[in-house]
Amino acid sequence: MKFLLHQLEALEPHFKPGGKFEKLYPIFEAGDTFLFSPADTTKGSTHVRDAIDLKRVMIMVVVALIPCTLFGIWNAGHQYLYVNQIESVLPPFLDAMFHGSLIVLPIIFVSYAVGGLWEVLFCVIRKHEINEGFLVTGLLFPLTLPPTIPLWQVAVGISFGVVIGKEIFGGTGFNVLNPALTARAFLFFAYPVQISGDVWTKLVDGGSPLAGWSSATPLSVASASLPGGADTVLADLNSAGYTFMSMFNGMEGGSIGETAVIPILIGLVILLITGIASWRIMIAGVIGLVVTGLLMNGVGLMDDGFKAFCHLPFWYHFVMGSFLFGIVFMATDPVSAAATNEGKWIYGFLIGFLTVIIRVANPAYAEGVMLSILFMNVMAPLIDWFVVERHLKRRNAKIGEFSYAS
Amino acid sequence: MSGFFAIKQGLDLSLEGKPSGEIVDVSKTDRIILHPSEFTRAKPRLEVAPGDKVKKGTVLYYDKRNPAFKYRSPVAGTIKDIVLGARRSLQEIHIDVSGRAVEKLPSFSADALLSADRTELLNLLSGTGLLSLLTERPFSRPATVNTTPKSIFVNGMANAPFRPDPNIVLQGREVEFAAGLAALKRLTLGPVHLCLDADETATNSALTAAKGVEISYFSGPHPSGNTSTHIHHLDPIFPGDVVWAINACDLVQIGELLTTGQVPSTKVIMAAGPGLSPEARRYYKVAIGQPISSFLGEAFVPDTEARIVDGDVFCGTPVTVDSGVRTHTRGLTVLSEDRERHLLGWMMPGYDKFSTFRTYMSSWFGAGRDWNMGTSRNGSHRSMVLTGIYDKYVPLDIMVDSLSRACIGHDTDDAIRHGILGTDPEDFALCSVVCPSKTDFCEIIRKGLAEIEAEGL
Repeated sequence: MKFLLHQLEALEPHFKPGGKFEKLYPIFEAGDTFLFSPADTTKGSTHVRDAIDLKRVMIMVVVALIPCTLFGIWNAGHQYLYVNQIESVLPPFLDAMFHGSLIVLPIIFVSYAVGGLWEVLFCVIRKHEINEGFLVTGLLFPLTLPPTIPLWQVAVGISFGVVIGKEIFGGTGFNVLNPALTARAFLFFAYPVQISGDVWTKLVDGGSPLAGWSSATPLSVASASLPGGADTVLADLNSAGYTFMSMFNGMEGGSIGETAVIPILIGLVILLITGIASWRIMIAGVIGLVVTGLLMNGVGLMDDGFKAFCHLPFWYHFVMGSFLFGIVFMATDPVSAAATNEGKWIYGFLIGFLTVIIRVANPAYAEGVMLSILFMNVMAPLIDWFVVERHLKRRNAKIGEFSYAS
Repeated sequence: MSGFFAIKQGLDLSLEGKPSGEIVDVSKTDRIILHPSEFTRAKPRLEVAPGDKVKKGTVLYYDKRNPAFKYRSPVAGTIKDIVLGARRSLQEIHIDVSGRAVEKLPSFSADALLSADRTELLNLLSGTGLLSLLTERPFSRPATVNTTPKSIFVNGMANAPFRPDPNIVLQGREVEFAAGLAALKRLTLGPVHLCLDADETATNSALTAAKGVEISYFSGPHPSGNTSTHIHHLDPIFPGDVVWAINACDLVQIGELLTTGQVPSTKVIMAAGPGLSPEARRYYKVAIGQPISSFLGEAFVPDTEARIVDGDVFCGTPVTVDSGVRTHTRGLTVLSEDRERHLLGWMMPGYDKFSTFRTYMSSWFGAGRDWNMGTSRNGSHRSMVLTGIYDKYVPLDIMVDSLSRACIGHDTDDAIRHGILGTDPEDFALCSVVCPSKTDFCEIIRKGLAEIEAEGL
């Protein structure tokens, strides 16, 4: 290891001002501090620091995403084998992992490679250090895509997310919207055929006995359900092959990372016990979903002509679509979420609320998580403003109208 | 009247290197080094030249901006050397100690102090430089003769690593401390608050039985011992208010001046920290200006580069081993400069790392242990990313995120609305410590305060 360290030290002068590769310093710095923690000591009046740094924070989020990624790989392979009616030569688990890897890993690779390129380009031009936040964005984004997504769309999507969602605002820490969701929203509206929650199609080989295959997601089934009671919508889901347990297990079509509940819960536990993600947002989101789910049930009772979807018991909302994935990994992005602790409660609650409203009441989009999080990202500064003003009003009540400047 | 306040926000950082309660007298020295630069706001004008003989109490320099401020020699001897820095700023005065000649100043008996004239007291304190031991809030600047504080806070607590424990420093100095308190009573029309640690069991009677002051007890983690916390809970600063504050250890010096009529020449300071060998972690009676090397020279942990901090790990100034003990020095904290680079530090389990985030093994199994921390920043500086984690370290009803953003954006009105005037940079040290983006909140707040002060408020 000493050898490696000496090599790095020998290389460093070339990347310092005046060196041959001065312009590429951000790339050197990223590799250097990736291999060895930096040697910087404290400046200023505070002399000791916590052992955590942003690299470790972001890596922890990536670690929390690993269960979802692994399950997503397995599930993509499993669906592939099922759809194409391929007899396993390997044990089924390995076979599914193998074919799943062939489908999912290129998507992840393209996301990291293309997004990373933009990130590096901006850092070199701006002379910033390369920010670790991209490690999370680059993995989050593929997990929100269906495994059938064309790779060029992955490249276009992550480019939009990184450049428009983040870099034009100044990079990590300055973005208004969650970059991964921005990327997905872009694909959702630009290329609805391949990504829409309505139908996802084809994992089909040329030599397959099936000419094509498609399956409606639970949300689109529920949304299409005719007026009726809770029985109607549950029967519709059942006849499409969806039960609560099947949606909980997640061995079905959908976006790569979000179909199963258990891997997301593992990630949630990792984020909560390390203290990295905000539990306030998650709890508030769950409360928002439950309250609004019940509210919709009430609406259904009052109006018989309304969609049967509104009779759906609220616990179904947790396993359908990507609410859990969104509230655990997307809504808790600290940069785009509300910054104040009281604001986080409001922010999370409204995400849960809007998710159900969009799902049940909106005729155009089957899934509402992505749009509700993005909408609340935009609203977060406003929430913070109200929270801060309320705090200041209470704090400065004794002073009366502020008049120090006069 | 006495109050009790339980502070919830904060963090008790338990570091290796705690001092023992023993006091050693090492104050015999033949050379002292004075640092006029410790009075950062003064523009010193010399009254002596190299070769001059000075008595204990002879004026060495005064402040051009505030002529009432004079600094007097703590010893009798000969001016050996005067060191100038950039732009001929006065950096150091070296004095060879010899003789016992003393320039007498007025002294007060205990009874006389109770009715002493405020102006006379102020001029005496200012004319010896000791008034600067009192800090004026807002802005944490040295007190001057021109202001009248609404109250004075005496801080008798020490729960940050490592602050000298007044219970130890005041041993045998009870008379001087009481005289100091009596003088403070004459300097303000309002109350004198003495703030003590409720968690401490053995407390010095000079503190617990202090007369004529309002004693309040604070419990809970650091920063329950910070003066801003005391002011916030007892007598908050509103626009236009001025409050003075002093540490109980410093008050002894004022008491000594008033009772003896002589400038104090010695003081008790603490030396602690993981960078010091265990037997050297204790209290020292030193001469003011005594070079640090003369009593700590051999005491550093071998084979490490030591950082000597005048102050504590949260708020202190690095000093060199050859410099002298300053008038404001209460304790020296010695840390090891830690420039070690760890392979793949971002994913290693970390069995000996202090962290408030539970991403290291040691955060799970390290409860109750003393951490050996060096000066490593443990990462690179980044934009602020995590939010809402700082407020739980500041018990001042302040939204740290918003206040620091106001300061960064030079929005002084907003910073004042957020309550910056009731704070001192040291109150945000814990935020700097825990920040994963390695933001230096103390510096942000310091600049914010300086900007507001420059605007003339």
